[in-house]
Amino acid sequence: MKIVALASVLLCGGILIFGTAGFPDFGDPLSPPASHVSPHYIEEAVAETSVPNIVTAVLADYRGFDTLFETAVVFSAAMACFFLLRVFREDERSPSEKLYRHLPTGIILRIDPGGKAPQSNEFEPIDPTWVPHDMIVKTTTRLIIPFIQLFGLYVIAHGHHSPGGGFQGGVILGSSLILYALSQNLRMAIGRMGETVSAVFCAAGVFIYAGAGALCLLMGANFLDYAALSPLFGVDAIQARSLGILVVEIGVGLAVMSAMVWIYYNLASVGRHQEGL
Amino acid sequence: MSQHLPALPVIVPLLSALLITMLGWFKPRLSFPIALAALTVALLSAVGLMGRVLSSGAAAYGMGGWNPPWGIAYHVDHLNALVLIAVLAAALVGLIATRKCVKEEFAERIVPFYTLFVLFVTGLAGILLTGDAFNLYVLLEVASLTGYALIGIGEKRAPLAGLNYILMGTIGASFYLLGIGYLYLMTGTLNMADLAQRLPAVYDSHVVALAFFICLTGLFVKMAFFPLHGWLPNAYSHAPSAASILIAPLTTKVMIYVMIRLTLTVFTPDYAFDILDIGNAIVWLAVIAIVMGSALALAQNRLKHILSYIVVAEVGYMVGGFWLGNRAGMTGSILHIVNDAAMTLCVFLAAGALLTRIREDRLAGLQGMFRKMPLSMAALAAGGLSIIGVPPTCGFFSKWYLISGGIEAGHYGFVAALLFSSLVNVVLFFRIFEIAYFEPLGQGHGHHRNDPSPMAEAPTSMLAPLVVVAVLLVVLGLYSGNLVSAIIQYAIPAQII
Repeated sequence: MKIVALASVLLCGGILIFGTAGFPDFGDPLSPPASHVSPHYIEEAVAETSVPNIVTAVLADYRGFDTLFETAVVFSAAMACFFLLRVFREDERSPSEKLYRHLPTGIILRIDPGGKAPQSNEFEPIDPTWVPHDMIVKTTTRLIIPFIQLFGLYVIAHGHHSPGGGFQGGVILGSSLILYALSQNLRMAIGRMGETVSAVFCAAGVFIYAGAGALCLLMGANFLDYAALSPLFGVDAIQARSLGILVVEIGVGLAVMSAMVWIYYNLASVGRHQEGL
Repeated sequence: MSQHLPALPVIVPLLSALLITMLGWFKPRLSFPIALAALTVALLSAVGLMGRVLSSGAAAYGMGGWNPPWGIAYHVDHLNALVLIAVLAAALVGLIATRKCVKEEFAERIVPFYTLFVLFVTGLAGILLTGDAFNLYVLLEVASLTGYALIGIGEKRAPLAGLNYILMGTIGASFYLLGIGYLYLMTGTLNMADLAQRLPAVYDSHVVALAFFICLTGLFVKMAFFPLHGWLPNAYSHAPSAASILIAPLTTKVMIYVMIRLTLTVFTPDYAFDILDIGNAIVWLAVIAIVMGSALALAQNRLKHILSYIVVAEVGYMVGGFWLGNRAGMTGSILHIVNDAAMTLCVFLAAGALLTRIREDRLAGLQGMFRKMPLSMAALAAGGLSIIGVPPTCGFFSKWYLISGGIEAGHYGFVAALLFSSLVNVVLFFRIFEIAYFEPLGQGHGHHRNDPSPMAEAPTSMLAPLVVVAVLLVVLGLYSGNLVSAIIQYAIPAQII
C-alpha cells in the first residue's frame, strides 16, 4: 500500500513538473495573467473605486463577492468547531479532576472526580491544563495587549492605503485576546469576551458584509454595488465605493476576530469552557 | 426586484443562516422557522428564475455592478436553473421532514445545526449559479466545510468517517483549485464565458490539457466516482439520519453538474470529445464504477450502507451517460441528476423514518416492518422500484435515455453495466422486501424489540413529506417527456447530436 502511495505521489509530482514546462515565462509582461484582466485593475482601480491599494480594491470590490464567502468560510469553521466540540452536559464525557489554587500561597490542590471542592474564598478554580502563575508574563502581556489591539484596529482601518484589511486586522485583534487567555487563564478570557459575544459577533461580522450588499440591492443597484450607498454616506458614487469597502472590512475584522477567539475557546478546553460558564 | 432574481437563492439563505445564529442564540425555537422561510424564498426565486429563462433565455447578474471579466458574474441557463430547483426542493423537503429528528438528535445543537445546514444549501446554490470558476471554488469550500461538520457529529464511527471525508474532500477541492490556477495562468481570466472565448487559442498547450484533467480528477473525488469514492459510504451511513437525509441527495448531484458545466461551458465539447478524445475511456471508468458500486452494495447488510453504495453506482450512471457524448446520453445524465436527487431523498428519508422506530438498520432487523410501518415501507418500495428502473417511476425514464444513448454510441459495455446494476438493485430491494414483508414480526433470530405494538409509524411530520416524495417519483416519471422537451434539450449545446 505504501508503495502504491509513493508511486502515485511521484506520478502526480512528475505530471505537475511536466506541466510547468508550458507555463509563460516568470515575470513575462506579455503573459496572459499580466495582460488580460490585471491591466484594467492597475489602471482603473483608483479612478473607479478611489482606493489606492489595488489589492484591497480587487479583494473587497471587484471580487468582493468571493471575499464575502471567504468570510462565510471563517464563520462556518468557527461554527463547525462549536458544533462538533462543545460539551453541553457534563456527563457527555467522563468527568475530569478539578484544580484549585490557594491564592495566598500559590499551592495547587487537585480534587479527584467526585471529591469535595474547597469552599473558602482563598481558593480559585483553575483550568485543568497548564496554568501559568508568572508575574512577569502576566504584567508584560497586560502592557502590550492594548497596543496589539490598537495596531489591529489600524490595520483594519488602513487597509485601503497600505497592506492590511479586515482579515489581517481581525487576526491581530483575535490573537491579542488569545494571548490574554494564554497568559492569564481561559476563565478570565471568557469573562472578558464570553461565548455568546464571540458567536453573535462572528455572525454579525458576516452579516455586516452581506447586509451592506443587501442594502445596495434595496437601494436599487446590484448586490454589493457600493456606489448605490452614496446617498447614505453623503459622498459621490466613487467615494461611496471606498467607504463601502471600509464597512465590509470592519465586518470581516469583527468576524475573523470572534471566530479566532471562539475556535480557541472550544479547542483549548475541548469544548468544556470549564463548568458553569 | 425581478432583475435581482439570480442573486436571491444565494443571498437569502446566507443572510438567514447568520440570523439563525444571531437570533437563535437567544431563542433557539426561531431557528427552524427562519431556515424554512429562507429555503422557501430561495426555492420560489429559483422557480421564478426558471420562468425567466424559459421565456427570455439565459440571465446574467454582475455582482457589485461590475461587468465580467472584471467582476464576478452569475449566469443562469436551463441547465443550472433545473438543477437548482431540484436541489432547493430536496433541501426544503428534507428540512421539513427532519424537524422532529433534529430536535431529538441535536437537542442543544439546534442553532448550529440549522446555521450549518442553511449555509450548506447556500454553498450549493452558489456553485450552481455562479459563472466564475474561482467563485465556484469558494462556494465549494462553504458547502464542504459545513457538510463535514454535519456528518462528523454522528456517534461512534462518524468522526472517523468525517475525518476521512475532510481529507479526501480537501484533496479534491485543491485539485480543482490547482486546475483553475493553471487555466488562469494560460488565459488571465476566471470568468467562465471569458475562459470559453480565450481557451481555444491555447487548446494545443499541454498545460490546458493538464488543467482539464486536474479539475476533472478533483471533481471525481468530490462526487465519489469509483475508485475515488472511499469517503462516501461511511460518511453517509454513519452520519446522523437528519444529516444524511439532507446531504446525500445533494452533494454528488451538484458535483456532476460542475463536471458538465466545466466540460460544456468552460471548455467546448470538441475539446473534451474530439481533441482530447477521452469520452470512451471515462465511460469505461463509469462501467467499472457502476459494476463495483452495485457489487459492493450487494455485500452490505445494513440499509444505509446499501443505499450509500447505490449512490456510488448512480454516480457512475450520470458520469457515463454524459461522457457518451451524444444527445440521448447527456439528456439521460441531466434527467438523472433530477431523478436521482428525488430517489436518493426518498430512500434515505424512508431509512430515516424506519430508524425512528428501530435501533439499528441491519437487514435482519427489518422483519415485519411492512406491517409495523406500512407507509414508510411503501415509500421505500417506491424509491427502490425507481432505482431499479420500473416504469412509470422516474428512474425508468432516465435509465431509458442512458441505455439508448449507450446503444447509439455503440458502447455496449455501458449498456451491459446498466442492466447488470438494475438486476443487482432488483436483488437488493427484493431481499429487503422479502425480509420486511414475509418474515413475520416477533420471530427474529433473538432480535430484541422494544415496541411490540403492531402499528407504529414514523411521526406524521416525517411521514407526510416522505409520501409526497414517493408520489413525486411517479409524477416526475410521467412528466419526464415534458421536462426533456421544455428544458433539458436546451441545456445541451446544439452541436451535440
